[in-house]
Amino acid sequence: MPAVFDGHTVPMPKVVSIHSYRGGTGKSNFTANLATTLAMQGHRVGVVDTDVPSPGIHNIFSLEPERAPVTLNSYLWGEAAIEEAAYDVGGAAGIAEAGRLFLVPSSVKADDIARVLKDGYDVKLLNDGFRKLVKALELDYLFIDTHPGLSKETFLSIAISHVLILILRPDKQDYQGTAVTIDIARQLNVRKMLLAINKAYSSLNFDVLKQKVEETYGTPVAGVFPLSEEVVQLASEGVFCTKFPDHLVSQEFSKVAAHITAEG
Amino acid sequence: MSKGDFSALASSIQAVASPFRQYLNDLHERYQGALDGAVADYIPELALADPNWFGICVVTSGGQVFEVGDCDKLFTIQSISKAFVYGLALEDHGRDYVNSKVSVEPTGEAFNAIVLDEATNRPYNPMVNAGAIATADLIKGDSATERLKRMLAMFRRYTGRDLDVNVPVFLSEKATGFRNRAIAYLMLNFGMVTDRVDETLDLYFQQCSIMVNAKDLAMMAATLANGGINPVTGERALDEHYVQDVISVMLTCGMYDYSGEWVYRVGLPAKSGVGGGITALAPGKLGIGTFSPPLDAKGNSYRGIKVCEDLSRDFGLHLFNVAKASHDLDDWLTGSGADSW
Repeated sequence: MPAVFDGHTVPMPKVVSIHSYRGGTGKSNFTANLATTLAMQGHRVGVVDTDVPSPGIHNIFSLEPERAPVTLNSYLWGEAAIEEAAYDVGGAAGIAEAGRLFLVPSSVKADDIARVLKDGYDVKLLNDGFRKLVKALELDYLFIDTHPGLSKETFLSIAISHVLILILRPDKQDYQGTAVTIDIARQLNVRKMLLAINKAYSSLNFDVLKQKVEETYGTPVAGVFPLSEEVVQLASEGVFCTKFPDHLVSQEFSKVAAHITAEG
Repeated sequence: MSKGDFSALASSIQAVASPFRQYLNDLHERYQGALDGAVADYIPELALADPNWFGICVVTSGGQVFEVGDCDKLFTIQSISKAFVYGLALEDHGRDYVNSKVSVEPTGEAFNAIVLDEATNRPYNPMVNAGAIATADLIKGDSATERLKRMLAMFRRYTGRDLDVNVPVFLSEKATGFRNRAIAYLMLNFGMVTDRVDETLDLYFQQCSIMVNAKDLAMMAATLANGGINPVTGERALDEHYVQDVISVMLTCGMYDYSGEWVYRVGLPAKSGVGGGITALAPGKLGIGTFSPPLDAKGNSYRGIKVCEDLSRDFGLHLFNVAKASHDLDDWLTGSGADSW
C-alpha cells in the first residue's frame, strides 16, 4: 500500500485508467474528482488526458489553454519532455499544498488535433511517456483519462493499468459496450477492474442496481453516482469533491478511492 | 474485428506494455553511452557507420517482437550470414557430405586465418572465412544468379521480408578480398572446393553484403529458437533436423576467437559480424538481434556483447544455467508477475 506521509516513502506507483465505451458518461469529471480525492489524502497524483481527439478535463481543473502551451501533443511529436507538459493544478482543484496534483493536457488547437488524427503516433511513446512522468514527478498515482470507445490507446492503457475503472450509465447501450470492454480487458490480463455507475436516476434503488450490475459482469462496482441537477449545477466549475467535501457524491468518491488504495 | 485480428492487436499492445520492453529500454539507456571499441574500416563503406547507432530487438518463439533504438537501420550482415548459409548447405547435401568438406572444430585462430586441418585438409569450421567459402561452394544452383537467389530466398524465409545485396559493399569486398581469394585457391589446391572458385567467391562476398537490421537478426535467431519456423510468418526456413547442427557451431565457433569465453559468460548460440550485428538465441525461448558498429579487439560488437551478457544473466538464459534467475522470463513477457513501475 502506497504511503501517505510527507516523508514520502513510496513503494510502487499505481496506474489507474478511466474508461467508458461510449461518450457522455461523465468520465472526465469522474477522473478529476477521483484524482483530487487521492491528492487530498496526501498522495502525489498525475492525470494525463489521452483523449487527444476531444480533450476536456483541463476545463474542470480551470487550466486555460493559453497557460498551457506545452501539451501531450508536444511530447508525442518529440518537441518536449513529458514532464514539461505537466501543470500543477492542485490550487485550482482546491488543494492548498503545491506538488500534489498535476495535469498533462492534450492540445485543443484544431491544427494539433488534425495532425494527430492524420499522422497518428507511436503508442510505444505514450507508454514510455507515462513511465517517465511517474519517475520525474515521483507520482504515487497516475490517472489516464481515455477517449471513449476502443482504440490502440485504450488497449495500451488497459494493458498497463494496475486498476481499470469502467464507467457506465444504467442503459442498454452502455451495458452492451461495457461487456465488450470487459471481455477485452480480461484477454489483456488486466490486474484489477472496477465498475462505476454514473448518472443513475434517483428513483432507482442504488443497492439493487449495484448488485445487479455486479452479478451481470462478475466485476465489483466501486461506486454509484446519481443523475442530479443539483450536482450538475454545483459541479459546473471546479472540482466538486473539494468544494463540497461532505456531499454524498464526495463520499462516494472516497469509497472508490478506498478501492484503489487497497492492497492488490 | 475477427478473433485473429484481435489477437494480433492484443499481442502487439502487450509487447508495448510488457515489463520486458521496459527492461530492454533500461538496457539500451545503460549502454547508449558505452562507446568502447572501433568501427570496422577495412573497406570505406563500413567506416561510414555512426558509432552511436544502437538497436536491440528480441523476438520470442511465440512471435512477440520487442524493439528498442535503431532496429530498422540497415547494415551489412557480414559473417552472421555464415551460420545460415551453413544450414542451406546441410539441406542441399546432408550432414555427412557437408562434414566431409567442412569440420566443426573451433580454431582459436582469427576468423581470416589461412589454416586447414592437416590430416583432412578441411577448413576447421563454417564460421571462419575458409569454412564459409567452402560452405558457399556447396550451395546448389545452375548459375551464379540461381545460387544467389536461393540464398536470398532462404534469408527471406528467416526474416519474413525481401533482402538486398549492397552492391558497393560487395564490389569493395571483392576488390580487396585477396586473402579470401588466397584461402579459396588453397582449398582448390587440396580439392576441397569445386573449380568454380571465382563464382563461389562472388557468392561469398555477396552473402556478406546482404543488408539486414537488428529486427531481422532477432527474427532469424527466433526462427532457429523456434525449431526452424519463423514465429511470425509461420514459414519454415530450415529443416528441423539441421537446426541443432547450425546452433551447435554457433555456440562453439560463432564469436570468432572469443567463442570460449562467450560460452562461459553468456552461454547462448550466437554469431557476430563486423558490420556491428550479433544474432543470438535461447532455444525454445527467444532470439536476440543487436546492432552497434563499434567492435572490440576480437571483432565483436562491444555493446552487443554487453546486452547479451545482461539478458543471459538476468533471465537465466545460459544454456547450462540451473539456478533460479533474478527475472522470470514468462512473468516479464506477460507482465503477470513482474511490476516494472
